[in-house]
Amino acid sequence: MRSPWHLPAFILPLLLCAAQAVAQIEEPPPPPAEGEQPAATGTEQNPSGADRERGNRERRGNRPGGPGRRGPRRAPIAIEAGHIHPVSGPVIEDGIVLIRGDRIVAIGKKGEVEVPADATTRSFPTGHVYPGLIDASTDAFTDPAISNANLDPGLAIGDDLQPRHNRDDQLAAAGITTAYTAGRGGQGAIVRPTHTGFEVWPEKEHAGLQVRMTNGPTPSHALQRQQQLEGQLRLFDGLDKYKKAKEDHNKALDQYQKDWEAYLEYHKKNKGSAQPAPATPSAETPAERPAGGPGGDRPFRRGRRPPGGGGNAEAGEADDIDRALELLLELAAQDRSGRSGSSRTEPAADTATPQEPTPKPQGQDPPQGQNPRAGQPEAAGEKKNEAPKRPTYPKAPPEDPAKETLLAVLDGKMPLRVEAHRPDELRAALTFLSEKEVPILVLEKAYGACAIAADLAATGAQVVLTDVLPSSMPKAYEDFDPQALPAKLDAAGVPFAIASGGARLAPLLPTMAAAAIGKGLAPASALRAITLTAAEILGVQQDTGSLQTGKFADLVVFDRPLFESDSHVLLVLGRGRTEFEVK
Amino acid sequence: MRRFPSLATLAAIAVNAAFGAALGAQDVLVSAAHITIAPDATLSPGRLLIRDGKVAFVGDEIPSEARQRARKLDYGEATIIPGFVMAQTTMGQDQDLAEAAFAFTPDLLAAEAFDPWHEDLAALAGLGITSFALSPSPRNVAGGIAALCKPGRDHARTADRELHLQLSLIGAARDQNRAPTSLLGAIDMLRTGFRDAKQGLQGGTDIAVLRQVLDGSRRAFIHASDYTELNAALDLAKEFAFEPVLVGAAEAEKVLGRLVQQKVAIVLGTLRPEMRLAELQLPATLARAGVPFCFAGDPGQLRLSAVLAIRHGLDRKLAQQALTRTPALFLGQQASIGSLRQGCAADFTVWSGDPLDLTSSLLATWVDGVRLEGDQPAGAR
Repeated sequence: MRSPWHLPAFILPLLLCAAQAVAQIEEPPPPPAEGEQPAATGTEQNPSGADRERGNRERRGNRPGGPGRRGPRRAPIAIEAGHIHPVSGPVIEDGIVLIRGDRIVAIGKKGEVEVPADATTRSFPTGHVYPGLIDASTDAFTDPAISNANLDPGLAIGDDLQPRHNRDDQLAAAGITTAYTAGRGGQGAIVRPTHTGFEVWPEKEHAGLQVRMTNGPTPSHALQRQQQLEGQLRLFDGLDKYKKAKEDHNKALDQYQKDWEAYLEYHKKNKGSAQPAPATPSAETPAERPAGGPGGDRPFRRGRRPPGGGGNAEAGEADDIDRALELLLELAAQDRSGRSGSSRTEPAADTATPQEPTPKPQGQDPPQGQNPRAGQPEAAGEKKNEAPKRPTYPKAPPEDPAKETLLAVLDGKMPLRVEAHRPDELRAALTFLSEKEVPILVLEKAYGACAIAADLAATGAQVVLTDVLPSSMPKAYEDFDPQALPAKLDAAGVPFAIASGGARLAPLLPTMAAAAIGKGLAPASALRAITLTAAEILGVQQDTGSLQTGKFADLVVFDRPLFESDSHVLLVLGRGRTEFEVK
Repeated sequence: MRRFPSLATLAAIAVNAAFGAALGAQDVLVSAAHITIAPDATLSPGRLLIRDGKVAFVGDEIPSEARQRARKLDYGEATIIPGFVMAQTTMGQDQDLAEAAFAFTPDLLAAEAFDPWHEDLAALAGLGITSFALSPSPRNVAGGIAALCKPGRDHARTADRELHLQLSLIGAARDQNRAPTSLLGAIDMLRTGFRDAKQGLQGGTDIAVLRQVLDGSRRAFIHASDYTELNAALDLAKEFAFEPVLVGAAEAEKVLGRLVQQKVAIVLGTLRPEMRLAELQLPATLARAGVPFCFAGDPGQLRLSAVLAIRHGLDRKLAQQALTRTPALFLGQQASIGSLRQGCAADFTVWSGDPLDLTSSLLATWVDGVRLEGDQPAGAR
């Protein structure tokens, strides 16, 4: 509910002071010192950074409550290694990565990077440093019970993440610092595996909508599949009506605001004669607040931020203030109604409570039903006729979380991730781009993508490949070669990531990329497929995916080139914190 | 006055021409950056002289004259290793390799039911497999005698009709439609057979095969997977004093002490990425304990099994050995396959890099000196 605009100006400052006392403004806790256990585990968000701007503020000590850091500042870290693979640039031999806080501040050859005197240096003379690996599709931390369940689009996997699988703890040890986890339907989330569990990537609890457009390798006729696919394409049907209802409600809210402004204005001008009724809850005014939709935004006020700014925490503060204001107004109204004969005592707008009989001017009858405020002086009688009616809060249409999610997909706030195997299923999935105008489409598994590689490149669809290991495909898929698919997509210019497909296979992510190299994929492209391109597909490339100044200090050190069968992880840093280390 | 060559001169020229032609047509000199002759012997760079389908000479032992006359194939920076040997497979012919009506058929020969034109055999060369033991199906308690087979250009062939005896204690060997219906019944069936063989009471061909196992002239491969089956197989081997090769052995870590004590060897099934960690670490566990083992199972996953084992702690050289030399030893064929020593069959594979890194691709497969897979190298002359 928005701040009530009809309050008299002299009450508002008083109420704001009281509201701040009611609203608990929490400062995010300082990041843990190096070596300390991070406090946030399970499904808690990382409290120390929501976005780069906020992180910058922290680094500068410009945090709410005044300058200066709370807790000890982490010493810089310098990682020296025989080979540094930034991905975004050529390999650096005998290089250094300098880390301050959770970001990379410098990277280059030894001697070219100035290492501060207080830096902790870790040396790996024959080691190979890579960006933290990114698993673009896993089921880590999800409930195995839902692994085969088709979830409703309104359900978010991010609401029920916790370490469950017996291999979940291997993600961090395998060098994976970012992962997209999802079930068969619903919304997936982006997480950071840690040595104690995981953290949900801020503002990425709703990171993709999963849709399945395949029945798998079950033998089926192409016409039968076409019928099923057409059913799936109706996913976005009916949204126009829902969207229109919301837009109409937004317009009604705008009108409501204008009417309140006019109502307040009128009564300000006519001060002393009649005071506007407080906004006490009435039958016409819904007291409940519509729930937030995906991403935490107010569903009916997209594009308009609540008072106090934007972001999840600031929207919460505005809500707290609004609730406090409502409570105080109710108390004030009760107090006023308890006093008799006060000129400030006002009945509710829709209750006709005459207080004193209004002397009728001779020859004039007071207009009927125009001004329910009896007892008004006769001089205001004329104005009573002009008084605008107290506006009624418009009733919100019923909210549908599934439709909200679909609207978020159409708005480009999260990608649509479609699992499709055969070429006809993939072509059907592409119609989401062409006919439904879904801005971001990611195809998963896509075994038959070879046949439509040119179409994929032309449409801008992205692909996440799993099962990229030598394997015996089911009979229905025996013509597909998932191991050779990356090379073909690379040649066609289709952006793709190689992913594990499951927590149990996470340690084999480099092995999968190696298998693709064995079937013709360039090693540089294979490395990108598990780092930078994967980050681009997940939409986190600004912060991770390569070793660059300004990005998060997500890196992994191997004892040998990571594509060799006997390479082992020596060290994993996630945002500059040690998530795995061989002692 | 013109003079004609003498008859002796003409004869000498004819002999030399014939000998030279024979050498030039038959001998092939293969060279590459790395040639692994045996697990502990790698030549860098290396050369092999192939004659009549066998390795005639290796490295510096190649006579200069033969080197000059031979057809030369230079694989440049490639790596050559012996071809992979599968110690146990039914090669998609499971139905024909087990007698469903009767579970005790130790004298049946798998070679007699072998289809050399079976469609699954055509893929073997592309997987680097140059020999395999065609085994009776494990659906029979005593299935019969395995055969050594090799892929060929047009069709596969049988190289040795009689290898080891195949026995089985796994669930597939227990059938409710005929005896045995339980593990106890299967154990009893084998014990009865071995006892009869030991006592010499019956003289059928089936008991004669068991007698060969007892006197050491024929090896016994026993399919056993879980702890109870493994224990039963080890008990039988101890009771009748023979050293078996256990096939499958998924829970081998539970009987590790007995495996070492009884000098048992293991033929592992396919390693799959989704297996339990203990299963993926089993090869490394067996290696540390000194238990010899080799990889088998799904031919399409043979190399991946070795790679997964390496990723879970197995030494790279041991992994390569488990694909080549060790299975040849288990089959008693180490003199002809599993290595590229002089006199061995010219069965080898050519890789763009280390064969146990998945980044490497298979360039060529040779069986008995004939190239079955891949193109001729650019440096051929």
